[in-house]
Amino acid sequence: MPKLSLQKKNFFVLFTLLLTFALLLVGCGEKTSNSSSSQENDKAEESNTESESSSREITHAMGTTTIEGTPTKIVTLYQGATDVAVAMGIKPVGVVESWAEAPVYNYMKNELDGVAIVGQETQPNLEEIAKLKPDLIIASKVRHEEIYDQLSQIAPTVAHETVFDFKGTAEMMGQAMNQEDKVNELLGDWDTRVADFQAKIKEKLGDKWPFHVSVVNFRADHARIYVTGYAGSILSELGFQGPKNLTDDSLEIVKLTDKESITQMNADVIYMFMENDETVKKTYEDWTNHPLWKELDAVKANQVYQVDEINWNLAGGITSANLMLDDIYDKFELEK
Amino acid sequence: MPNYVSVRTKTNRISFQIAKRTAWILLLLSLLLILITVLGLSAGSEFIHPVTVVKELLGYGNGDYDFVLHTLRLPRVLMALLVGAALGVAGLILQGIIRNPLAAPDIIGITSGASMGAIIFIVYFMGSVSIQFLPLAAILGAGIVSFIIYLLSWRKGVTPIRMVLIGIGISALAKAVVTMLLVISNVAATTKAYLWLTGSLYGANMQDVYLLLPWLVILMPLTFILARTVNVKELGDEIAIGLGVKVQVYRLLFLLISVMLAGSAVAFAGGIAFVGLVAPHMSRMLVGRSFAGLIPVTAIIGGIIVIVADMVARTAFLPKDLPTGVFTAAIGAPFFIYLLFRTRNQ
Repeated sequence: MPKLSLQKKNFFVLFTLLLTFALLLVGCGEKTSNSSSSQENDKAEESNTESESSSREITHAMGTTTIEGTPTKIVTLYQGATDVAVAMGIKPVGVVESWAEAPVYNYMKNELDGVAIVGQETQPNLEEIAKLKPDLIIASKVRHEEIYDQLSQIAPTVAHETVFDFKGTAEMMGQAMNQEDKVNELLGDWDTRVADFQAKIKEKLGDKWPFHVSVVNFRADHARIYVTGYAGSILSELGFQGPKNLTDDSLEIVKLTDKESITQMNADVIYMFMENDETVKKTYEDWTNHPLWKELDAVKANQVYQVDEINWNLAGGITSANLMLDDIYDKFELEK
Repeated sequence: MPNYVSVRTKTNRISFQIAKRTAWILLLLSLLLILITVLGLSAGSEFIHPVTVVKELLGYGNGDYDFVLHTLRLPRVLMALLVGAALGVAGLILQGIIRNPLAAPDIIGITSGASMGAIIFIVYFMGSVSIQFLPLAAILGAGIVSFIIYLLSWRKGVTPIRMVLIGIGISALAKAVVTMLLVISNVAATTKAYLWLTGSLYGANMQDVYLLLPWLVILMPLTFILARTVNVKELGDEIAIGLGVKVQVYRLLFLLISVMLAGSAVAFAGGIAFVGLVAPHMSRMLVGRSFAGLIPVTAIIGGIIVIVADMVARTAFLPKDLPTGVFTAAIGAPFFIYLLFRTRNQ
C-alpha cells in the first residue's frame, strides 16, 4: 500500500505542475498576431492585377490546376524542383532540406542564400509552408500524394509523378510559372550538349562505342546498381548501354547483398559514388578486393571512376544533370 | 464508508464496480487531457496562445488561424487522441485475456499483419490506386493475420499461451515478408514504407478522424459491457469456467474487439509502438486491477502519450516534422525497462 500512495502523490505533483504551467501561459496575456497578415494580402493582390491575368490550366500527376498570372512566390518540395527553379533564375521562397550538405546543396548555396527551409522532402512542414504564403507549390506525387489536398488549400499545387525526371519537372514548372520560353531554352541547351557529346565520343571510341555502363553505390551493408532513374536515364540518353550481365533490368535499383553477385556490375565503364563514412569505406574495400571485382571489364581496362553522389544521384535537377555531364566529359578526356 | 460504487442493471447483465478513487483519478486525468489537447493545439511552427485556441474552437475567434488550427492541427491532435486510446485499450484487453503483462498489439500479430498489408499496398499499388485506400489495406492485413493466428491456435478451444507463441511465429513471418518487400521495392516506396512502419500522424485530416471515430464509439462501450467477465478470467480459465463464464466465446469476442481497435488505429497511424503495452501498465499503477475502471483510464493515458509524442515530433526539431512513432518509443522504451526492473524485485 505505501508504494501505491507514493505514486498517487507523484501523480498529483505532476498534475499541479502542469496546471501551474498552463495558468502561467494564460497569465502571460494574449497579444501578438493579427494586423500584419492583412497588409501582405493587399500586396499579393496588387501584384496579381499588375501581371497580365492569363489563366492557365495545367494537367499534372494529381489532376488539373488553374493558375492565374505569373507566380512569384513558389515553394519547391523536392530537390529536382529546387534545382530547376534556380536554373530558371528564380529563388523559391521556401525549399525542402537537401539529402546531404544540409540545408541546401553547395552548388546552389549562393543562389539560395537565406531561403526558408520547410522541413524534409518526405514530410514537409505544412505550417511552415502556409506561413510563407506562396502562390505556387511544386510537389511530387510519390512523396506528397496524401497531403496534396492540404497543399492545394495553401496555394495552387502542381505535382510531378516522380522526383528524378528533370526534364518533366522543368516542363511542368515552365507551364506553371508561365516561363515556358526559359525552360525551352534550358532544355534546348541540354539537347545541344547531348548531341555534342555523342559526336565527340563516337569520334574518340569508334567501333567500341556504345559502352556498357554501371552506376554503382556502396552502402554500409550492401552494394547497389542504379539502373534507371535519374543517372540511368541521362546515361541512356547519352547513348550508353546498361550493365552487361544484369538479369533483371526492370528495377530502378538492384540491391546486391552478396559479393558473388559482383558479376552483375560488369560493364565497360563503372561510375561509383558513396557516402563519406567509415563503414561504407569498409564495404567498398571488401567488395573491391574480391577476386570477382578484378574480373570486371571496367576494372581490367582501368575505367572505374568515383563521382559525386549529389550530382549523380541526390540532386535530380537540370543544373546537376549538366554537372554530371561535365564529369563524363572529363573522365573520357573530351573537350567541352 | 464503502470504497466502491457498484453499478448493475436489473438482470445483472451488465455490472461493474468502480472505486471512488478511480472516479477521482478519472476526473483529474480528463482535466489533464483537456489541458494537453489545448497545449497540443497551441504548439507548432507558430505558437498560438491557449486562450485564442479555446476561443477559436468555440467559434468566438476572428478566423486568423482557421487554416492552421482547423485544417492542420485539430485533426492531428484528435487523431493522436483516438489512436492512443484505441491502442491503449486494445493492449489492456489483450493483457487481460492472455493474462500476460507483455501482451500488446505488436506482439500478437495485429501490428505486423497491418504492416504487411500496408507495405504490400505501398510497393505494388501506390501510384495506380489512390493512397486513401492505404488504411483499408492495413486493416485487412491485421484482420487476416489475426484470424490465421486464432485458427492455428485452436485445439478444442484456444489457450492463451498457445496463442502468444503462434502469434510470435506468425508475426515473425509477416515481418520477413515486409523486409523482403523493402529490399525489392524502389527507393520512393521504401522511403514511404519506413515512414509508415515508424508510425506517423503527418498529414492527418478531418476525414481520417470521421473514419476512425465510429470504431471507438462502438467498441469502447462494448468493452465496458463485457468488463465483468475479464475480472473473472484473470483468475484463470478453470475458475472462470467454474463460475459459469463461457471462456471461449468471450475470448473470441475480446480478441475481435482488440483486433478492430488496434487494427483501425494502426491503419491510420502506422506502426506506432509501445502505447498498447505501456498505457495499460500505467493505468494499473494508478487505479488497480478493476477492469471497468481501467478502460477509460487506459484510453485517456494512451491518448495523452500519443498527443505529447506527436507534439514533440512536430515542434522539437523545427522546421522538420518528424514521425510520431519515433517519440512514442522514446517515451515508451524507458518506461518499459523500468517496469521490467521493478517486477524483477518482486
